[in-house]
Amino acid sequence: MAVTTIVGAEPEQKAAEVQSVNRRILLGAWRMANFRIGFFIFVALLLASAIYPEFSSVSATKMIVKDKFLPPLFLGDKWVWEHPLGTDQLGRDMLMRSLIGLQYSLLVGVITVVLIFIIGCGLGLFAGFKGKWWDTLIMRVTDAQLSIPMIILAITILGVSRPTVATIIIVLALSGWPLYARVARSAAVAERGKEYVRGLRVLGAGDWRILLLFAAPNILPPIAFVAVLDVARMMIFEAILGFLGLGIQPPTPSFGSIIADSRKYLLNAWWIATIPGIFLAVALTSINLMGSALEKARNRIYGGL
Amino acid sequence: MDLSLILEVSDLTVGPVTPGSAPILDHISLRLNTSDIFGIYGESGAGKTILSRALANWLPESLEYRVGLIAFAGHDILKPGTQEVRTGRDIAYIGSKPQSSLDPTVPVGSQIAEKLHSVRPEWNRRECRERVMQLLSEVRIPSPRERYWDYPSKFSGGMMQRAMIVDAICAEPAVLIADNVTQPLDVTIAAQIVALLHDLCLRHRMATIYLSSSLPTLGQFGDRTAILHRGRFIEQQAFGELLAAPKMDYTRKAIASVPRMWSTADGPAVRRQAQGEMPLMQVQQVYRTYRARKRGTFNSYSNVQAVRGVTLDIMPRENFGIVGESGCGKSTLTRLLAWLEVPDQGSILLNGTSLGGLSRGDLIRKRNEFQLLLQDPYNALPPRTTVGRMIEESLLIRGKVPRVELRRRVIAAMAEVGLAPELYDQLPNALSTGERQRISIARALILDPKLLILDETLSALDQREQGRLIDLFSKLQEKNDLTYVFISHDLAMVRKVCTRIAVMYLGEMVEIADNRELFYDPQHPYTKALLSAAPTLEDKRFNPSDFLLEGEPPSPIDIPAGCSFASRCPKAFGRCRVETPDLIEHSPGRLVACHLLDSGEVKAAA
Amino acid sequence: MLILEFLVKRIAQGLLIVFITSLIIFTLLRVVPGDPVRLIVGGMAPPDVVEKVATKMGLRDPIIVQYGRYMRGLLQGDLGQSYLRPRSGMIATGGQYIDPTKSDMAPVIDLILERLPFTLQLGGMALLFALLISFPIGIAGGLHQHGWQNALAFGVQSLFVSIPNFWLAIVLILFLSVKLKLLPALGYQGFSYVLLPALVLSVEIAPFIIRTLTTSLGEVMQANFIDEARVRGLSRRRIVYSHALRNAAVPLVNLLGIQLSTLIGGVLVIEYIFDYPGLGNLTVVSVVGRDFPVIQGIAITTSAVFVFINIIVDLVAYTIDPRVEI
Repeated sequence: MAVTTIVGAEPEQKAAEVQSVNRRILLGAWRMANFRIGFFIFVALLLASAIYPEFSSVSATKMIVKDKFLPPLFLGDKWVWEHPLGTDQLGRDMLMRSLIGLQYSLLVGVITVVLIFIIGCGLGLFAGFKGKWWDTLIMRVTDAQLSIPMIILAITILGVSRPTVATIIIVLALSGWPLYARVARSAAVAERGKEYVRGLRVLGAGDWRILLLFAAPNILPPIAFVAVLDVARMMIFEAILGFLGLGIQPPTPSFGSIIADSRKYLLNAWWIATIPGIFLAVALTSINLMGSALEKARNRIYGGL
Repeated sequence: MDLSLILEVSDLTVGPVTPGSAPILDHISLRLNTSDIFGIYGESGAGKTILSRALANWLPESLEYRVGLIAFAGHDILKPGTQEVRTGRDIAYIGSKPQSSLDPTVPVGSQIAEKLHSVRPEWNRRECRERVMQLLSEVRIPSPRERYWDYPSKFSGGMMQRAMIVDAICAEPAVLIADNVTQPLDVTIAAQIVALLHDLCLRHRMATIYLSSSLPTLGQFGDRTAILHRGRFIEQQAFGELLAAPKMDYTRKAIASVPRMWSTADGPAVRRQAQGEMPLMQVQQVYRTYRARKRGTFNSYSNVQAVRGVTLDIMPRENFGIVGESGCGKSTLTRLLAWLEVPDQGSILLNGTSLGGLSRGDLIRKRNEFQLLLQDPYNALPPRTTVGRMIEESLLIRGKVPRVELRRRVIAAMAEVGLAPELYDQLPNALSTGERQRISIARALILDPKLLILDETLSALDQREQGRLIDLFSKLQEKNDLTYVFISHDLAMVRKVCTRIAVMYLGEMVEIADNRELFYDPQHPYTKALLSAAPTLEDKRFNPSDFLLEGEPPSPIDIPAGCSFASRCPKAFGRCRVETPDLIEHSPGRLVACHLLDSGEVKAAA
Repeated sequence: MLILEFLVKRIAQGLLIVFITSLIIFTLLRVVPGDPVRLIVGGMAPPDVVEKVATKMGLRDPIIVQYGRYMRGLLQGDLGQSYLRPRSGMIATGGQYIDPTKSDMAPVIDLILERLPFTLQLGGMALLFALLISFPIGIAGGLHQHGWQNALAFGVQSLFVSIPNFWLAIVLILFLSVKLKLLPALGYQGFSYVLLPALVLSVEIAPFIIRTLTTSLGEVMQANFIDEARVRGLSRRRIVYSHALRNAAVPLVNLLGIQLSTLIGGVLVIEYIFDYPGLGNLTVVSVVGRDFPVIQGIAITTSAVFVFINIIVDLVAYTIDPRVEI
């Protein structure tokens, strides 16, 4: 480090590392206002989408044509308390539809990221640590996979069969794992060259033992922190797929399909397009605030060591 | 000699920006005349770097000038907007990290010329370029016109430091501040740089302030020297007088702590020899070459010959030392001895068994007998693992052991190396360097080895810790009948500890001899150069100027025919460049690889 | 010499990647349910007509044979002919039956070449806008790591990355096009038609540039050589622009290579929404219509563009920083 380690002998500086690195990253992120804002908003949305649909009697899918095109609270002249965010072209409550859409969005987002993390990091660690032709093979596969943009893959697979939550998740996971494999691989290669690995080899430990017991717990947490950001990315993809008609099929609400339908009514019922977008944007912003703060904290802690 | 005052520092006090905090530099005063060379000694942490930065008006953002004045030729350099004095032009700085001092994406020469043009805009770009090339040859960088366009990564440490010297002096500064410039360099290269710097300062008539944490290096300049302790100058005298009659206790202690090689009777205990002993480890004609793909061609590879035909025997209960500078191949040899890598040719035998012929299972069992201790205790231990778990790992690798038994054996190993049993469940974060090394020793000892290889294990420690660990090693040697192999670049430590020493150069052994014989009567010219360059305060047995080497060792990719040392040897003659000398036992127990020792040649060369 | 070797190696690898991609798409199309013949002859046609047409089109042969035939054509520069579009340009819909083996269908290569320039124009303008937005914010944020500039960069980047592109498109169309009548929205009748789509796309790309720039510039500014440049006498402007930015640019250039995939996805959606006559639009329509040859042709084109741009990216990175592995 260039500037701040002038005073004091070097070894003492390292010995002051009392807490585990991961906890420091979490605390460092927590200290940032951005993270806290994002966290609270996210929790609020999570609770809302989980609890409100259980307790409200309003339906998200039943069509009540007489109630169609009701504007949100305080806007226009026909609003009602029952539908605080208005209704759509078929009289369905916007708030309920948005919250259920959010449920599915979060579901797809989180499960996809977990899958990507497991598959991608698993293959990446293996490739990086074992090296040689395993490495080459896996890296070429990631290259090939990366050159097929998600959209094309999605359109090809989902465009013809009726998309379900499972197939959507599979398509998203297929397009997302290569990035994680790359990152995990370069981290594994870096870890492989570290002194402590050499020390363990001298004692007689084999590659697998070192990888699973020592290297992986060192490599995976920083990647996991940044994976939070990818939940948002997957949620956007899910919405895009919905918009193109390749997502969760109506009448089940999903952000993309709601917004796609709403284009026809843009001029007289603009809230049908805007409200879900706002929900999605807020959810994504909160996740992004948390994820970016974690990333920043991680860079700071790792950079300072 | 021009004795006009060029730099005057009065009561300089520097401290952190936060109000009320203790100052780091406290009322420093000095007067520097043109052509003076002023030495400052300070241990790490005493404030040396901050002082050097303060003098160059280059404090980091966290520090500020509180009191005091720095006047360059009468002008206050700290006044904002001063045009008369500019850092880079009138006052130049050379630091201790040459490898990271320049932008890695721009050629070295271009950057120096860029700096020159920035601080002396009156010289046009072509003039700047010419001047830089001329200076590069003055600091003895070979092929300066080609190397001008090379990137920093292509420069070795010594070469880079020379380039940084050019960077500092190209604008013709009146004052030069050199902060610990030889610290990262090898002994023989450092000797060259110091001589070069001394010569340049005198020739260009630059007033120089030379800061170092090594008293012997300051001794090479010999002028007025100040001792910096806790931010204050506690003493200021000419170097010779300082050594003879130090005024302060701290100075006395600093002088005493410089390790002695020549004027001490200390040496390792004589080895207990048994009759008709077999060597514990035999290294036979071992070769190791790395293949690196040559950039810019399709399929050709360059061969880095790291270890070339090394043969040696390590006898039981011996402290065998292997010394050499960076690039000599000792790290590769260490890895081969520890069987972390397999030699391309040749074999290594432990207690008569060839390690190459063992199956995987047998190899793990055999590993019990020989273990390796690494240099950097912070990186050598797995992160986020408790002390106990680290030591247990050695046993767990070999199969399941009942918990109670495991704990007992680990605590026993900890006790043997002097670690308190309470540390079992703790993370090593709060432990000192010496204690961490003990963890490494414990996890090796628990396997009950016969041979311990120590790869620069003592280099990271200060004198006191080093002493303690050396005592521990002797104790363990007595108790467990251990043999040690020390790989090091620290000649003073090797002198104190090793019974027999091998000197390595460019992948080969050039001399192997007993401790006393090697130090007092070295035969190989490289050994003599090495010993003469080793920094000590005593009267040197070998005069450095007689044995000063030129340039750097040849690259291990392109090893010339004949003796690999011929390109730098002051005594090389015809045969040396054609025929590689063998390691021959010229007298009992002494092996040397040099043509000079063939009696006929000695007469011819004389 | 180094560059020559690099180019040869990468082009060879690129060809391999394009090959594998085309094979994957080719197989996927024939494996996933959805018979193009059904769509061509119409839902009412009897099964034997479907079979006859399918066999004549070669769709009942084993996949390997079909692929071999396709590859042979490819090597001669022939990407096949569309199943749906005749040369005259109108798409056959479900009701009308145009036998693709009889009439003259539009060559895929013509379809692609016709639309490729539009897509490239869109991508180029989007990149330009993104850089114009990101650089000032990113550099300011990078230089002042603890100041308001950094918080601003952070905020902008979080905001932009959270806005779904299709939603932004709709909102902007509503405001800028319909209500304020500033920019045209759908279709293409002149250069101004590319501006709104490019703007939306740039909002999608910008956050990654800002993020990478602030982080890597921040890191580089901490480097030893930047600090030491000050005492060597270089001016701050020179240090930041000639050295810091240069070093920070390499991760940025690498990022662009990786982000390419996302960019292509974004282009597709944007073209669809704005009815912009580019490749993306063609893709959506072709997939829905199971127009195999067009889909395959686009996949190959996309792959090739991807490989090409990655090669350029690596070359640029090497020019900036010669330590880069090529």
